[in-house]
Parts: sequence; structure tokens; C-alpha cells
Amino acid sequence: MLDPHSLGTRRLAPAIVEYIHRTSPAAAPAHRLTAEAADAQFEQLARELFAAQFAANPPYQAWCRSRGVDPTRIRSWRDIPAVPTAAFKEFDLTCLPPAGRTRVFHSSGTTAQRPGRNFHDAESLSVYEASLRPWFVAHVLGELPELEAEELLAPGQDPAFLSLTPPAEAVPHSSLVYMFDTIVRHHGARDSVFAGRLDAGGGWEVDHDRALFALRKSMCANRPILLLGTAFNFVQLLDHFAAGNIRYRLAEGSRVLETGGYKGRTRVVPKAELHALITRHLGISPRRIGCEYGMCELASQAYDDPGADHRRFHFPPWARARVIYPETGADVPDGQPGLIQICDLANVASVVAVQTGDLGVRSGDGSFELLGRAEAVEPKGCSLNSADV
Amino acid sequence: MTLPNLYLADLGPGLELSPSTLHEAAYAIRRNREQWLRRQRTRTLVELLAYAADRWRDPQNSFRLRALSEGAADAGFGPATLARGLDAFLASVTAENLEGLIVQDLGDAKRLDGFAGTMPELRTGRTSFARGPELLVHFCAGNLPTPTLMNLVLGVLTKSAQFFKLPTRGGLIPRLFAHSLAELEPKLGACLEFATWPRERLDLEDALLANADCVTATGSDERIQAVRQRMPVRTRLVIYGHRVSFAYIASEMLTLYGLKRLVADAAADIVAWNQLGCLSPHVIYVQDQGVVSPEGFASALADELARLEKLEPRGELSPTEAGAILSARTVYEMRRAVGPGPLDLARQESVFFESAHTVHLWQSEESTAWTVVLDTDPTFKHSCLQRFIYIKPVKQLAAVLRFAEPIRSQLSTVALAAQEDIGAAHALELARWGATRICPLGRMQAPPLLWRHDGRPALGDLVTWTDLESC
Repeated sequence: MLDPHSLGTRRLAPAIVEYIHRTSPAAAPAHRLTAEAADAQFEQLARELFAAQFAANPPYQAWCRSRGVDPTRIRSWRDIPAVPTAAFKEFDLTCLPPAGRTRVFHSSGTTAQRPGRNFHDAESLSVYEASLRPWFVAHVLGELPELEAEELLAPGQDPAFLSLTPPAEAVPHSSLVYMFDTIVRHHGARDSVFAGRLDAGGGWEVDHDRALFALRKSMCANRPILLLGTAFNFVQLLDHFAAGNIRYRLAEGSRVLETGGYKGRTRVVPKAELHALITRHLGISPRRIGCEYGMCELASQAYDDPGADHRRFHFPPWARARVIYPETGADVPDGQPGLIQICDLANVASVVAVQTGDLGVRSGDGSFELLGRAEAVEPKGCSLNSADV
Repeated sequence: MTLPNLYLADLGPGLELSPSTLHEAAYAIRRNREQWLRRQRTRTLVELLAYAADRWRDPQNSFRLRALSEGAADAGFGPATLARGLDAFLASVTAENLEGLIVQDLGDAKRLDGFAGTMPELRTGRTSFARGPELLVHFCAGNLPTPTLMNLVLGVLTKSAQFFKLPTRGGLIPRLFAHSLAELEPKLGACLEFATWPRERLDLEDALLANADCVTATGSDERIQAVRQRMPVRTRLVIYGHRVSFAYIASEMLTLYGLKRLVADAAADIVAWNQLGCLSPHVIYVQDQGVVSPEGFASALADELARLEKLEPRGELSPTEAGAILSARTVYEMRRAVGPGPLDLARQESVFFESAHTVHLWQSEESTAWTVVLDTDPTFKHSCLQRFIYIKPVKQLAAVLRFAEPIRSQLSTVALAAQEDIGAAHALELARWGATRICPLGRMQAPPLLWRHDGRPALGDLVTWTDLESC
């Protein structure tokens, strides 16, 4: 007998991948959906996916029912109940039967807490890859009009990547590293490097010798390099540069993609300062430093516009962000702060709508400015807002 | 009313501060203290403080009016919540209580004026004099104004010049109180200074620390640790770190006729300062087997919180705070909806309980104004606060102590509702376990002025003694 997942979400996956192809920046003009058609299909797919997940995801169904919501009540994708990321720590919010959960991604955060978990199988991973690649290529590999693609991509040559994270084998539960690994596998030169490793406590640390070797090699060859890493990866690398008074001038066209994230570290460097340090020590101009916004509970990512005064994050057409006022769940007006909520069609095997604790300011076109990430919204009583001693 | 520019903080956030500004400000208040405050008799200062506090209780007092109208924006409390919290504190600032505090901590009301002796001292031919720090520096927290006000009162009693490093939000009311003191006695106002700066300005913090004779630090453990690391080695540091509190209701109190009072008291503790103080309850442990069940109590409490929301609304939250409540509510909604089963990891991992925990939830509609979660898992749980309370049924007090073990070192207050004979035994058990304050339900956020803050003599910790031995 077929389980509800096989009947529903699995059946929808090809349609969603098709939608991704037809709305992706890489879509051929003849194949591309018009904005109107894209909106209508998004609406249709989101509702169908919700209905399928409702049937196959028991805790999600029970919770929706307790709120009086079922698929017949959904008029718009905005009505789909969004699951807070905190719930992923406690419940198996997945449509996959236990035997089918071949991969699990864990949320970062302090090790004292149980991580959020998002389960995958081969098929949901293939949707994940279909989602992550075109948007990364468009935003990071330089198909945006303001970045000239040929700088980074010499004809016939793949760009060299230096990821400051550990390699995927070392951190199989990191969705971020899975993403970097996918990108490097498909788009990277053969000499791309993962220069991170695990320290004695299981935390991530940068292997400076390997990282510096890769950077020097790219400088000697005068070949651009693309650095990937979490904010804390970069803090570690730059601390090493500062301690040794090292300054590099990476080849013209080199870029940085920084994903935020400090994984419970005590030292947090404000973004502007971090980027200034990157510019100072690596010689990469601010307009070549991009940021990514993603999480293990989602399958799509948002990227910002490097160099802009107000860095706005954009999700791809198959994942739509709202900024809501949590008291009522209503959208905030443009320019107002609220919490970021995402409806992500690529999240096929889990839940289509996810409520984050991250604070953002809405802009009209569906993008948002990120004010702060709630890496650990575990309230601590008195210290809630007394932290600024 | 417009405030005169007495203090650095009066000049607004645009003010550029430098270490030399702070050195000069510290020098000035130290000199003013030497010329005036040090020479005042304790009785004069006690009368002054008591009079100022009494004036603040007048509904037409201009400082009070300003505190209530602007305090909401600055500290995040509605006017009714603010008024109730402030009045509870102000009412305790009487001449009798202030002198009582000195006697309690220092043994004699005139200790700070000259040599005096208690019987044991006199018998051994000694008298002693308690002298306050010349410059007392306070690193203040912003969650509620009363701890800063209390520090201000203590520092006036010890005749110290005082510098308050205010938080970026929540510092208005202490500053207004200082202005009201300055209006009564400008020479006292001239011994105080208030300023604020972003956390990154360690140069300013160091400048201040270099001038201090004694420092108090209130706030999160991490921030206190950061201050402690940079303290000059011979300067005294008094810390008020992160604390949590809970309540315990014994089954004999859960009667039909007593329920109304019990629920009103519990709700008062939750509503006071929107639960943001260290003395506010995170969890109310309810002994089961009472006439009224824990569910009955929780449901009545929810009704009372709904009623109080109309009289004393909690006020608006930031999206992040409201989001934390929303998120916690969803997890409990999901637990309730899913019910006992293999999906709940918490249950699988629990080593204490074989039976499944059940969850009930009562919450305000269309807002996060108040939330009552009844959870049969007795493990102590930090609340998101802002009127979000856990009710946890237990068999007996011993179970509470076992399940609250992780927060034992952070425990402040336990509110105890029990019959007198049982209550006395419970109190001793709690005291031995580590509670530094045990109070009746309904009074958690209204500690007496003579309260030993975090189990320490608040005034006694500030002074240095000189013993005089006669021949």
C-alpha cells in the first residue's frame, strides 16, 4: 500500500521542479512563465503541496486541525499555517516515513539545545538541489547585470571555490555545507577546497594553512577565487590575518559569500565591520561581498544585493517571503519591521510554510532587509532586555 | 515639563562622549560629594529620600506624570502596570524603613555619621563607623526601573557620589527620580551623574571603572562577567546577576472558597512588571490532589489574566518578543494536538516519567497578551515572560526541588501558598535548598525595602568599616 507521502508530496515534486525551471533566472525566454502565470501557478502549487503535506505529516495535520484549518479552508498561500522553527526541534515535521528518512539536516545554534531537524530522501534532495543551484548561480556566480560574468568565469574554466566550512563528509547534518558541496560539485574547479575542520569540541574551525595555501595559489595564478563561509568562519580567518598582520590582494573578480551565523559563539562582529575587515585583509571590494539567508528548515535561500546601502534579501520566485506582525499574523506595511515568514515550494517533504524568529523590514517587491537573526530565541527571563549592562 | 540639563544623559543620544568627559564628570561629583553630601547627617538624607518618594506618589506630581506617560515608550510598560510597580516601591521608601534598613545592616542608625556601638561591641570596648564609597558606579539593567532606584537610594544613604551607566532603554525613570531629588536639594543632585553609551565603548567603561571605589553591576551573567574582567583589582564589585523565581501552591490551599483569592494573587505576580523582573514567577507549581485540580486552577487563572488585561493591558511588544511567545505557543499547541505518542522527543528522552505528559493551553485571542500553559512535565521551564506562565502539577515540594535543580544557583524568590504549619516546614526546606527569599503569593514583585537582595545585605555590602578600640 502506498503511504500518504508517496501519494501526495512525491507526486507533486516533478511539477515543482518544472515550476522552478520555468521561473528560474536561467529559464529560456520561450520557456519562462509570465509573472501572472507564475503567480497563479505558485498559488496552485502551494495549496496542493499544503494539502499533500497535511495528509502525510501527522504533527502538522494535528496542529492545523486544532486551529480549525484544513486544506478546504485555504484560499491563498498566505493562509497556510506557518510552523515556527522552534517546533522542528521537538517534532518530526516530515512527510517521509521513518524508513525513508535517508538524510537529516540540523539547525545550528548552541549545542546545549536540541537542534531543529529537517528530514530528506533522495527525491526531496533533488528538489533541494534544483532550487539552490539556479538562484546561487544568478546571485553569486555573476549573472546579475552589475557583475560581469567573465571576470570570474574565464571561458571554459570553472571558478575555484574556497569554502571555510568543513567538507560535507565531516558535517553530514549541515544543510549549508550540503549546499556548498552541491555548488562546488556542479560549478567549481577541481582544485576547489573545503578548508574547515572540526575542533575537539565538535565546533567548526578554519584550517588556516589550507585556506592560506588556496588563497596564495589563486593569487600566484592571478585567478579569481570565490570564498564561502559563515560569518564566524570569516571572523576566525580574519583574526588569523590580523594576528599575523597579513594582507592579501586577491585577483580581480574574487568574491565572498557570507551566510551570517555564529553557531553560539560568544564573539559577534557587526556585519559592516566584518565586511570592512574582509576588504582590508583580502582586497575584495564591498560590492563583491554577498550575503546569504537560509536555514535547515527551508530548501531555498535568499541573497542580497552586494554594495547596496540597504541590503535587501531576495528569495527565488518559488519561495515567497512575508514580513508579518506576530500579534496578528498580518503583513506589516512596507518599511515596517516584523518577523520573516517563508512559503517555500521546494520544501516538499516537510512543511511549505515556515515562521522564523528573524526580524526583517518589508519592502514592496517581496524582498526584505534583515535586521537580526534569532539564532536562539530561548528567552532567558531577566536578561531578556537587560543585556546592555 | 522640560528637564534642565543636569546630567550627560539629559543631552540626548547625539552626545559624543569621551573618556576625558567621564573623568571630568567623575571628578566633579566626587568633589561635590566631598563638599556637601559627606557632611550631611543620615537623618537629613533619610527625610529627603522619604519626602521625595512620597511626592512621587501624588497623582499630580509632574515627574510621576512624565514617568507614566513616557515610561511606556522607554521601558515598555503600560501606564497602569508602571504605576502599580512604582507605587509598590515608593510606598516602601519611608523614613522608618530607611532607618530600619541601616539598623538591620549596620546595627545602629547613626553608624554612617560617626562611631557607634552595639552591645557586643561596647562590651568588648569597641565602637565602629561605616563609611560608604566616595564614588559608587552602577551598571544598570533596563528591564525594570526599581532596582536602579533602590541602588540610588542606597548610595544616598552611604553618602556616595554616584555614576549611573544607564541601559540604552529603560533609564528614564531613575533619571527622572534624580531630577526630582535635585529639585528638592540641588546639592544632592550635583552628586549624581547619568550617562549611556553603546556596549562596544569599552574605553568609556574603563574610564568609569578607573574612577570607581565600588561598582554594582546588574544584568545578564555574561555582561557581569565582562565587567568583572576589567575591574581594577582593589575596587569592590557587587553583582546582581540573572535570577529566576517560581511559586508553589500546596493542595490544602486549593479549595473552592479560597480559589478566587489564590488566583487573584497569582495573577498579580504575573501581571506585575509584565513578569520581567527576577522576582516574577516563571512556573507555578501546584500540588495535585487538592479540591480544585491544577486544571481548575489554571483555567481560573486564565480568566483572571483576561480580566486584568482589560484593566491593566500588557502593552505592545517588539516583533521579536511577540514572536517568541507565538513560537512557544505553537509548540504547546502542537503537543496538545499530537497528544501522547512517539512523535514527542522530549517524552522519549525523559528518564523520570514513564507516563506521557499532557498539555493544556489557555491564551488571549488575536494577541499575545497572556498565556497559561498547563504542562504535566514538572521540569522547571523558563517562561518567555510578558505574562506567559507555566502551571505544573506535582505530588509534593520535594518533586519541585528535584525538577528545579538546574536553576538552583539562579533562584531568587519562591512564593509559597500553604497553611502556616506546613508552610514553616516548607520554608526551611526551601531555605536550605537555596531560596534567598520566600514570600506569600501575590507579593513576589513587592519586596520590602529591608529585603536582602539576592540573599546579601544590600547596604552592608557597600560600606567599609573602621573599628575603634578604646584602651
